[in-house]
Amino acid sequence: MAYHTTLATARSRAVVAESRHLLLTVAPGALWIIVFLVLPSLYLMSVAFMTNGPYGLPEMPLSLTSFQQLAGQGFLGWSPGNLMTLGRSLWQTVLSTVLVVLVAYPIAYYISQSDQRWRPIMLLAVVVPSWTNQVIRTFGWMNLLAPGTPLAELAEAMGMIAPNMGLYPSNFAVTLGLVYNFLPFMVLPLYAAFEKLNLSLVEAAQDLYASPLKTFWHAVFPQTLPGLLAGVVLVAIPAFGMYVIPELLGGGKGMMLGNLVANQFAGSANWPLGAAGAILMLIATFIGLYAMRRIGKRLGGGEEVVI
Amino acid sequence: MRRGGFHKGLRGFWWLTLGFLYLPLIVVMLFSFNASNSAASFTGVSLRWYRRLLGNDAILSALGNSLLLAVVSSLLALMIGTLIGYGMYRHRHRKLGWLIVLIYLPIVLPDIVFGISEMTFFVKINELTGLLSPGLATMTIAHVTFQVPFVALIVYSRFVGLDPTLFEAAKDLYATPRQRVQFFMLPTLKPALISGFLLSFTLSLDDFVISFFTAGPESATLPIYIWSAIRKGVTPEINAIATLMMAAVALAALTSLVLSRRRAAS
Repeated sequence: MAYHTTLATARSRAVVAESRHLLLTVAPGALWIIVFLVLPSLYLMSVAFMTNGPYGLPEMPLSLTSFQQLAGQGFLGWSPGNLMTLGRSLWQTVLSTVLVVLVAYPIAYYISQSDQRWRPIMLLAVVVPSWTNQVIRTFGWMNLLAPGTPLAELAEAMGMIAPNMGLYPSNFAVTLGLVYNFLPFMVLPLYAAFEKLNLSLVEAAQDLYASPLKTFWHAVFPQTLPGLLAGVVLVAIPAFGMYVIPELLGGGKGMMLGNLVANQFAGSANWPLGAAGAILMLIATFIGLYAMRRIGKRLGGGEEVVI
Repeated sequence: MRRGGFHKGLRGFWWLTLGFLYLPLIVVMLFSFNASNSAASFTGVSLRWYRRLLGNDAILSALGNSLLLAVVSSLLALMIGTLIGYGMYRHRHRKLGWLIVLIYLPIVLPDIVFGISEMTFFVKINELTGLLSPGLATMTIAHVTFQVPFVALIVYSRFVGLDPTLFEAAKDLYATPRQRVQFFMLPTLKPALISGFLLSFTLSLDDFVISFFTAGPESATLPIYIWSAIRKGVTPEINAIATLMMAAVALAALTSLVLSRRRAAS
């Protein structure tokens, strides 16, 4: 009897010690993230449901005005500006993601087929440019696309732009900047998929006299799908909320959701409207993550993507 | 024969893509040595923009801010992140799903939402208490918040890669908790701590959006300085400072890569 009680107390004491250990190690970091990120984002979300005060700061009463404004409702009636910005963000996201896939697919395949000694270096060569600050990389493109540069003159000679105009600011420059920025994010997961490619399926297809296109579609493409989807999420989510690239390369007519949101906290202050835009970005983020988890589970080989 | 053509085409596409990736960086480097201040034509080699940097107080103070912010935030993130990484490992058999979600949150949140959340929160706190007016302190808090998850994940994966019996062995040898930390944990964790610190440091130096929204009037970092110079259209020196930053980041990243290679080899 006595033995059992001591054992029980020893056990419960061990449980208490373990729990204390968990608390001591995990609490500082968990609290830090809760206080400095979870609470701030919850506050930001609540701001979206408040009214815009005289200095752009949120005030009571609660209302849905900010969401109506996001849809274009203003003092002077409805205007399409904000909806066009939303549409442009979606369009730029889809277009740049598709272009990134088209470039990254052959590149990832080529690296996976190269000599094993060269592969790490080739991957490094693709990733190194993204180590440079985003502002600087975008500035590099401003230099390349400015009026009078060879690229701008070529476009001018082909009649694509008016004389003495640069290739930026324009929607084209924003797409280019997005593709440039996100290419490595797609090459890495696709390469991982190509490296694990089961070649016996490809050989089987060839033995059955499948055309190269059919071989690709039925034996190669499905195997790279998890990597492709991981890449799409890694590219599309941050592209949708991009701020720096459209701000520098897009100008007023190339504005995206990130710029619309940021502007509400600077010049034309309207915090509730900005917060409503931020909620939209959050929804997009969580849809993307959820979709990736679901698809990953269904395909079995769910990729754990950690950057 | 067809296969050969296909492969040649691929190789051509590979070099074309590399050109696309490096062209903007090369242009910035090239024009940092330009004798004239034209962005369209290269007129001769000169170091005048680099000399101008040395006399530019705003750039030097931005550099100071960047380095101070990176060092302080990385050290804080290293302490908090290592603890949480160890806790995640030690208690990995419990249901810690909420903790994983919490740790991934700073990574998946779009930069702009991250930055604006912090900014509105700091403004509100400042309004209520008078504390946390925008400046290096608020920027440090924001940077630590996005650095902690990376340190935690690096430390956690280092522990997962260890033989779990090592922990038992240390206990069996009657090592006190302090000795276990001093003679077992710290030495085995050293590589993870170094790469965690370097990654935090680079992330901090590289960050623009989150710094931009949490900065005060006198706490501009280098990326913020570069941003405002571009917006104002004063750019020739920007090429020079950008080239130096590229060189520094590439050097730091390559060092950590070589270090990890050497560890993997030994």
